Amino acid sequence: MGNRGLSRSSCLAFVWLGLVALSAAVVTWLPLLYSPATVDLYGIDQPPLTASHWLGTDTYGRDVLAMLLFGARTVFLISFPVALAGTMLGVALGGIAGFWGNYRAKFSPLQYGIVGTLLSFLLGYFFYWAVGIVGLLCTGILWAIFKQRQRQLPLPLDSLVLGLIAVVTSIPRLILVLTLAAVQSPSVGRLFLILLLTYWVLPAQLVRTELLRIRELPYVEAAYAAGLPPFWVLLRHALPNAWQSVITMMPLSVASLIGLETTLSFLGVGLPPSVASWGRLLAAAQQSPTDWWLIVIPGLVLLFTTLSLRQISKQIAAWQRTPNVTR
Amino acid sequence: MLRYLLLRLLRLVLAVWLIVSGIFLLSRLLSPSAALLPFATGDLVLSTSSVQEQHVAEKRLIHRLGLDLPVFYTTPAPNGKSWQWHGARNQYQRWLSQLLRGNLGYSYRDGQAVTSLLTNALAYTLPLTVSAALLVVGLSVWLSVYMATHARFRRYVLSGLYVLDAIPLFVLGLLLLLLLANPETLALFPAYGLGGERELIEATWLMRVGSHVYHLVLPVLCLVLVSLPTLVVQLDATLQQEQRTDYATTARAKGLPEPAVVRWHTFRNALLPTITQLTNLLPSLVAGAVVVEVIFALPGMGRLLADAAARHDYPVVVGGVLLTALVRLLAQALADWLYFLADPRIRLRA
Amino acid sequence: MKFLYYCAFLLLVIKLCACSAPAVDTSTVSVRWTHDPESLDPLLYLSSGNSTQAINLLYSSLIGVDYVKQVKVPLLAEALPTMRYTDSLTFITYRLRDEAVWDDGQPVLAKDVAFTLAVMNCPELPNETARAQFSFIEQVQFDSTDSRRFTFVCQGRSPEYEFSSGDFPILPAHIFDPKGSLYKIPLVKLRNAALAQSAAVQTFVQRYQQAQLAHHPMRLPGCGPYRLQKWEPGRYIVFQHKANWWGNRVTPTPVQLQAYPRTISFEIIPDENTALLAFRRGQVDVYPRMPAREFDRLRQSANAKKFAFFTSNSYETLTAGFNVRRPTLHDRLTRQALTKLFDIPALIAGTQLGYADRSVGLISTRQKEFYNDSLPLPSYDPAAAIALLRQAGWRRQPAGAWQRTTATGKTQRLALRFSYRTGEPAYEATALQFREAAATIGIPVALLPTERSLLDAQMKAGEVDMFLRSIGGNPTEFNFAPILHSGYIASGNFNAFGTPSSDALIEELAAAESFPRKRQLLRRFQKMMQEESPFVVLYFFRYRLAADARFTGLQVSGLKPGYNVMTIRPKQANAG
Repeated sequence: MGNRGLSRSSCLAFVWLGLVALSAAVVTWLPLLYSPATVDLYGIDQPPLTASHWLGTDTYGRDVLAMLLFGARTVFLISFPVALAGTMLGVALGGIAGFWGNYRAKFSPLQYGIVGTLLSFLLGYFFYWAVGIVGLLCTGILWAIFKQRQRQLPLPLDSLVLGLIAVVTSIPRLILVLTLAAVQSPSVGRLFLILLLTYWVLPAQLVRTELLRIRELPYVEAAYAAGLPPFWVLLRHALPNAWQSVITMMPLSVASLIGLETTLSFLGVGLPPSVASWGRLLAAAQQSPTDWWLIVIPGLVLLFTTLSLRQISKQIAAWQRTPNVTR
Repeated sequence: MLRYLLLRLLRLVLAVWLIVSGIFLLSRLLSPSAALLPFATGDLVLSTSSVQEQHVAEKRLIHRLGLDLPVFYTTPAPNGKSWQWHGARNQYQRWLSQLLRGNLGYSYRDGQAVTSLLTNALAYTLPLTVSAALLVVGLSVWLSVYMATHARFRRYVLSGLYVLDAIPLFVLGLLLLLLLANPETLALFPAYGLGGERELIEATWLMRVGSHVYHLVLPVLCLVLVSLPTLVVQLDATLQQEQRTDYATTARAKGLPEPAVVRWHTFRNALLPTITQLTNLLPSLVAGAVVVEVIFALPGMGRLLADAAARHDYPVVVGGVLLTALVRLLAQALADWLYFLADPRIRLRA
Repeated sequence: MKFLYYCAFLLLVIKLCACSAPAVDTSTVSVRWTHDPESLDPLLYLSSGNSTQAINLLYSSLIGVDYVKQVKVPLLAEALPTMRYTDSLTFITYRLRDEAVWDDGQPVLAKDVAFTLAVMNCPELPNETARAQFSFIEQVQFDSTDSRRFTFVCQGRSPEYEFSSGDFPILPAHIFDPKGSLYKIPLVKLRNAALAQSAAVQTFVQRYQQAQLAHHPMRLPGCGPYRLQKWEPGRYIVFQHKANWWGNRVTPTPVQLQAYPRTISFEIIPDENTALLAFRRGQVDVYPRMPAREFDRLRQSANAKKFAFFTSNSYETLTAGFNVRRPTLHDRLTRQALTKLFDIPALIAGTQLGYADRSVGLISTRQKEFYNDSLPLPSYDPAAAIALLRQAGWRRQPAGAWQRTTATGKTQRLALRFSYRTGEPAYEATALQFREAAATIGIPVALLPTERSLLDAQMKAGEVDMFLRSIGGNPTEFNFAPILHSGYIASGNFNAFGTPSSDALIEELAAAESFPRKRQLLRRFQKMMQEESPFVVLYFFRYRLAADARFTGLQVSGLKPGYNVMTIRPKQANAG
């Protein structure tokens, strides 16, 4: 029961992901015949196992093998970091919102005053000095009022995070990307930012609802009774039970992010054309639907990656469940 | 209770107003050359009229669309150091007063009222997305319960779902078309649209509905297959977690068969995290699915908003976002209310 | 299990319900469109190709086009207009056909033409583009004896006036302006917005706007052969032939007045694969601008006999342009060097599958009388490019990049940004090939696919370095001013090109009227453009059209839209 070894599927999963990571790392030094941006205009739509194109070419004559290998790099440049950073951001915000809610995070008027002053200075410096002055005045007045009461005031964290979620999810993501693409040409950095800013919502919501339930459980109360500070309780006791569903969701999210990038390529607003990606290969299938290798090969690669990621997360979940019993 | 609801309503209205105002201001600031729209449609018109005449024409167009007014009550002056006050004659005021009267503005493209554009598009989108959503929810519930009771099939079903998830939406649409609407393989379903008018001139009401449903089978199937994996995996994961709890063991020890354990005990608790995902479906019901609508030639909300976003047709975009924002906030309120009902422990600390 | 049976049963019932196969109506033609025309307001007909085609079905203009012979022919007018010139004015006289009547039987008279021009110049209406296009017509003079004869008085003199003066749809005066209060106001007065605040104008404007002609064009019906039967925005639009159209009574019926199909329906299908499937299943009869790959595949497939395939040589070119304002692109040697980096035969083979023609300039090789065959075709020659760059003063650094010092002492680096429209596979392939070729000789090129209207704005503002652009052409009119004259730098001249000699040549060319003069000037023009190289013409497109084999009379040509939908008819009906 307390076996912390790897099952065979997990081994395979690690091997595959290792392969992907390795190709992402060394691809610039590999002696490839073609670069992913070379268009072999006399050899378009070649099926696999033709002379110099081992995996065939796409609608423009770009080598599929080169695009796969360079596309692995894009996965590590975009999809993985967005999923990781987005999950961390979502867990952080959702955790704060769920655990402390609207009434449990109490600060003294002095702490509010300090933060208010800092914010006013920042706003005044970056936006407009009048805004900063107004901010300072408001902070001063509020501080004076609250000091009279000599009480600790709760910060409505839950409402703030929910409001943020509402703002972010009001605009459909495709519309946001399309609107911004109509204003400025998309680049890797901009795409990363947009995906990150819209992706964190789902993990945050999941963690928040789990914590709403968990914070009422007896062991949390016991932790408080033992004298542990609230932050420690959140980190070491509440969150590990809450992020089970998030971890289960992560591999699917990586796949959905790659799928989203594919849809953006389909609509013509994806990554710049000099950046290869698996999504671009799949999108090229739309121009030549009878080129089965443009669907099957990147589809299989995507599938294996997704399955490996899922296996990894299952393994992590299994490790979390079993106690680390040394015998 | 009443006070709580009123407060919630007030917060909702405030949130919607803030979001949409923000988007309105953003859209106006993003594109000062929105007046290029009529000149930039279709092929670029090589007008032989002189540059001066074109400038005059552009200025006239900007004036007609009301884009020459200042954007907000106060804007930074050109010299950059102070802010100018513009009074009540600004675009924001106009837009807000129109909005309060129920008028969402007029499209830049052809001057049609945004409300009628959105209503027409919704008439195509809602049957598609609502039926897809109902099917997805029903199927995922059934599938996850089935997997919990028949443990042998779980691996295969989950693997199948992961394969399905790896296929992007438009590839799926393409495959469905090539397999089920292709004269060379099986031409079971129509390839596009909702049926021509000339075929339905003498049709009865029932035949019209039947034809409508017949044409929607492939798009709905496409949407269902794409949304199924996420929902099922989520539901299955939580259900599996609940299956391992103590009360489930107790139920089994009492002698209950596995299906009964799932149906009466574990499933209800597993629903809680899924409420989030289910209520997240609601805004996308209204926003439509751009890819499906493009492939199957349905003029729905997704296509409308995507085209408008690409063409800088901001009244339509703002109107669409307003609708989505409203539905989103209502969905959030609905989710909170459902949690409130579902878990008594949350009620205690509300 | 039971549930699955129920589902299957339900699907079967639905299929039976919906599957009433309609009788094939042989006189209906269905054509595929990629997008909705959005507006059928005749004043906005300049906005998109689809709406122009639709408006030509509903309304008639004075002069039309013979697609077969590719000349202008009289449509509402009896004959081509007579021109008379004075020092500063041009007088263009038309006479309307005697048979031309409106739907309610009233004849088409000169006052209707005056009314149309008045509507075009009326303030507060969405007629900005039309007004700018036809501002050269200053006045309409009626003939006192013949109510069908009238004369346009135009400012200045230009060979274009003859045909563009008859190129707009004519609206009926008696429906919205029965008393004639609007068209009696002189055009110059109408153009002056301050003077046009009279009550008559205001009431008319209100009436026009209430009619919402963009979606209900039948409220101001034209005298064209078709009427709008049904329009489902975004899905389809159906036109029906008018039973007693006046054009049927003109004998012998000239080709521009022929209208065979009883019903024309345009199906709006944005996706190419879906459209192809619909075409193969017979739901769409005519598929214009078919992608090259599908065209070849369908031609070689088993049931190719069910379809007829056409290609036509168009006047539309794909050009790669340079922004002459950029300091790196300011001199012609650098531009000439860069034009040698396009591998045009490979591009034609790879992106157009051979369906394109090369050329030395903006004149197609098909126009043998004007084409300057003494000039060499642009070739792919990186070595020559390097030589030209050296000649221009560029020196290759050890790191690989090119640099040169200007007269003022500043160093310039040769790095380019290539902008093009998104959503066009051919453009992307072209840009990628150029980038590859430039990389071999050490020029870094950044690719910027940009959304269409944003790209247009950027090109107008001069914020691009290099760009891909398709330029439409004309077999008979050679006015290159909007794209190459220095006076149009802020509008259509995205290259910002214009030297005094080129400006003079373009102006002469636009004013030339005799054939030998045009020929001589065009040869000089092509030579000058090749030397200066503000752009390079990659190729002329060849349009591909596929139709159901049972139709004939498509009149496939290079003139937009590439076919004539009004003359399409089933083969059996064509007895002679």
